[in-house]
Amino acid sequence: MKTRTSLILIIGIFLIGSMSLTAQTEMSATEIMQKVSDRPDGDEMEGTLTMTLINSRGGERVREIRQYIKDFGTVEKKIMFFQKPADVKNTSFMNWSYDDETQNDDQWIYLPALKKVKRISSDSSGDYFMGSDFTYDDLGDRKVGDDTHTLLRTETLEGLECYVVESVTKDEDYMYSKTITWVVKDRWYGLKKEFYDEDEDFLKSLTLLNVEQINGFWIITGTEMKNDQKDHMTRMEFKGVKVDAGIKDSNFSERMMKRGL
Amino acid sequence: MERIIQKLTQYPKMILIVTVLITVAFFQAMKSNARMETNLDEYMPDEHPAFVYSDEAEGWFNIKDGIIIAIENPDGIYTTETLQKIKDLTKRLQKFEEIEKVDVTSLYTADNIVGTEDGMDVKAFFKRVPSSEEKLQDLREKVKSNDMVYGKLVSTNETVSIIIARIGDDVFSQEFYQELLDLAHEFGETGEENVYIAGRPIVEGTMAVLGPADMKRMVPIVFLIIIVVLYALLRNFKSTFLILSVVSFSSIWAFGLMAAMGIPIYAVSTMIPVMLIAIGVAYGIHLYSHLHMFQLENPGTDRRTAVEDMIKEMWNPVLMAAITTAVGFISLLTSQVYPIKYFGAFSAFGVLVAFALSILVIPAGILLFGLPKVKQKSGGEAKVSKVEDFAHRSADFFIKNKKQTYIATAIVVLLSILGITRVWIDSSFLEKFEKDSDIVLTDKFINANFGGTSTLNVILEGDQPDKFKEPSALKALVKMQDDVENSLPIVGGSFSMADFLKRMNKVMNADDEDFNIIPDDQELIAQYLLLYEMSGDPENLWQVVTDDFRKVNLTFQLKSDNSKALNSAIDIVEEYRDDFSALGIEVNYAGSGYKALVFTDLILEGQVSSLLMSLVIVVILLGVIFKNYKLGFIGAIPIVTTTFISFGVMGLLNIPLSSTTALISSIAIGIGIDYAVHFIDRYRIYAVESQDRQLAIRQTMFHSGRAIVFNAIVVIAGFMVLLASVFPPNRILGGLISLNMLTSFIGTLTVMAIALYYSKIFITKGEDK
Repeated sequence: MKTRTSLILIIGIFLIGSMSLTAQTEMSATEIMQKVSDRPDGDEMEGTLTMTLINSRGGERVREIRQYIKDFGTVEKKIMFFQKPADVKNTSFMNWSYDDETQNDDQWIYLPALKKVKRISSDSSGDYFMGSDFTYDDLGDRKVGDDTHTLLRTETLEGLECYVVESVTKDEDYMYSKTITWVVKDRWYGLKKEFYDEDEDFLKSLTLLNVEQINGFWIITGTEMKNDQKDHMTRMEFKGVKVDAGIKDSNFSERMMKRGL
Repeated sequence: MERIIQKLTQYPKMILIVTVLITVAFFQAMKSNARMETNLDEYMPDEHPAFVYSDEAEGWFNIKDGIIIAIENPDGIYTTETLQKIKDLTKRLQKFEEIEKVDVTSLYTADNIVGTEDGMDVKAFFKRVPSSEEKLQDLREKVKSNDMVYGKLVSTNETVSIIIARIGDDVFSQEFYQELLDLAHEFGETGEENVYIAGRPIVEGTMAVLGPADMKRMVPIVFLIIIVVLYALLRNFKSTFLILSVVSFSSIWAFGLMAAMGIPIYAVSTMIPVMLIAIGVAYGIHLYSHLHMFQLENPGTDRRTAVEDMIKEMWNPVLMAAITTAVGFISLLTSQVYPIKYFGAFSAFGVLVAFALSILVIPAGILLFGLPKVKQKSGGEAKVSKVEDFAHRSADFFIKNKKQTYIATAIVVLLSILGITRVWIDSSFLEKFEKDSDIVLTDKFINANFGGTSTLNVILEGDQPDKFKEPSALKALVKMQDDVENSLPIVGGSFSMADFLKRMNKVMNADDEDFNIIPDDQELIAQYLLLYEMSGDPENLWQVVTDDFRKVNLTFQLKSDNSKALNSAIDIVEEYRDDFSALGIEVNYAGSGYKALVFTDLILEGQVSSLLMSLVIVVILLGVIFKNYKLGFIGAIPIVTTTFISFGVMGLLNIPLSSTTALISSIAIGIGIDYAVHFIDRYRIYAVESQDRQLAIRQTMFHSGRAIVFNAIVVIAGFMVLLASVFPPNRILGGLISLNMLTSFIGTLTVMAIALYYSKIFITKGEDK
């Protein structure tokens, strides 16, 4: 099957010429990214996130966060409780992310010292998440239609066969001019991703550290983002991950944020 | 030694050939290896604790010097065109290879922390340039209500906005400087807006271009004037040519050796040829002066006899002068600053070369090209006698007016001491420029509209992580920050971690001004900081605090980069040192302005100690050479008076001490010794011979005095040319060198001559008439 596709491709190069080749690869590249976007990872997930921020001098800051995520169909809700460091313990954060592209995320923060839940808004999904090297966009699902995808090549990375897909933004003001993703064939998760800033300079790279099969889903439980321009690195590790273990809908509320775990 | 010199001069051709060959070799070394050191950080001793600390702190907080580009629209900056320019300029600056993207700050890149009804919001002021009047007004309101931007990135009269591009120490180049100027020019050319460019890197860049360019233009003129005046005095082309060859060769040897040893040329190294011209010309003139006298006394003498006598009589005083001068320069090796050490070492080397070449090349030249013609009879003699007569009469005059001369000298020295008390040290770059130059005017303009173009970084370091989450530490920081900012008009602004926290506290409490303070709860502070990290760009936070919250960087903006301004701020900060110490917090400083301040202090400390040391050495050396300790003190008279007057005039004319002006005092030593040695040596010869001090002083005045006057006239005439320079530091250089030459020669021929006469040294046969 695979061989035949390549064969057709090669014949295509000779017979049809580059014009239609571009059309065909673009289509398949978009399909690949659609597959990545559609990869099933369960509707609910909970676990403990350890976020390690490493600065250019090698200094580390570690945060431990208890996290719950649930997909409600048109909205994905996420609630997080800080465990460490001690001075921010019980600080909680909730995020509702809508499928509707025109609707901005809703976000709340609860500061126990202030005893108040506050809405925080951020007009840009390009903001960095909790001082890490990940933006909200890097963590969430960027819509496939926001970029123009091109299949650059296929290659083997860490023993896995990958599609190398270049995704160029359609929005001129977007913070990444393009990204290049190494998508693992048939598993549809990225093994590696390179980000280029708005001036098309290399910005950072995301590397997969660990992936586990939980409840039959491929769940990414370890990643590392290295920002080359800032010489800063963030490692995210999930422990005790449970998928579809049953989270009450009412857990995603301001009351829950205040109550804590 | 004399025998060696006499022997060597038997082969004049060989001397000239060897000299020229060595000179060519050094010239080649200079051409292929010489490089100018323009990075000012390279001038500073890296191992000095203040520099080590500052460099470290610069790394922690990414402290860099800022290039400031100001965009002025007299009708207000809130127009689509002006905002577009701010955005475009920001992006263009970010594209420079020399500038890191995150180091460009403007209204386009700044974060706006605002309070909303039920929370907080961190947003960019604008991403797309607003085009409708409504959106422009909205932006205007947003800016106005944010203290972290209003008056900092946008002037309070809303006609100027600045873009700050911070650059590392090592990226500045002439090309980069030119590109920046071109960029500013390009954006200023079209539309309503005026575009200005300022900031320390630009000032340093302009100085690095202007100073040497001006010198390149002026030095040939200086040299030409010296040639003309020397020729006018000696009335002989060959003599002029030989003397100047010796001076030029010694400079080439010194620079060639520097290049061969891989030592770069520093700004102060340009003082080496200045020293060598002033001192080297003197050696030649003294030799020729003696030759002239010999020819007058022995009409029709042949070359060989005249040259032999010249060497016999003059090698000793010229060598003594050279050695004492060299020792004076070598004392600069005690300086902690490498450029000064090199200056001392290579000036000493050059002086010894000048001596060797004078005593070998000039005789060789005379042997090969013939003696200068001396008009023996007719009008010539009358003229010579007139000069001689004048020398004698001035000697008599000074001796007769001993008291008056002493009193006059005392008054001058007292006035100088008064001046010295007013001398101040300055590490400012900006004050080196003309008051009406573009760079000074731009700086003034930006200072009038914003906090200030110069910065001082105060680094507070806690004894444990999270120290700066403690309310007590933060409150102490605010107290000190406010005190400095409020009590000094020269401090136009300040910025610290406290400003972030105060604003967050206010915003989280419904924008209530009462909450524009540091909260009392440490956990709340920690949670605000987490919140900031979650919602804003934490890069901004890491410029004011390290991510372990142990160290903070407090930045003061100053409207002047001079040492008085920096010191006034430091003085107030120091008052808080004990308070901080009680909280377990250490106070330190960082930044290029502070480093320049420490550096200048270091230079001067070294200068003063080496000046004193060389004075002591000179007194001892002269005492040993003339086998009379009293002569050591008498010989030091010209040096001491010249040094006093030099510093005194600087104080009275409000010329600040800087690395170059301080070095000029070395000239006082070099020249002062020279004059003293020649004068005393000549006097000794005449006095011992005639045992008549009146006759001796008269003859010395004619012999040495004439040479000293010639030397002074030549050098003064040459360096006065620099007074026409367009670069103020070069003018000061020219003026002070001329002044030092003048006071050295007057001091030698008046006070020292009188002291020598009345000391009755060398007079052994009882009281003469």
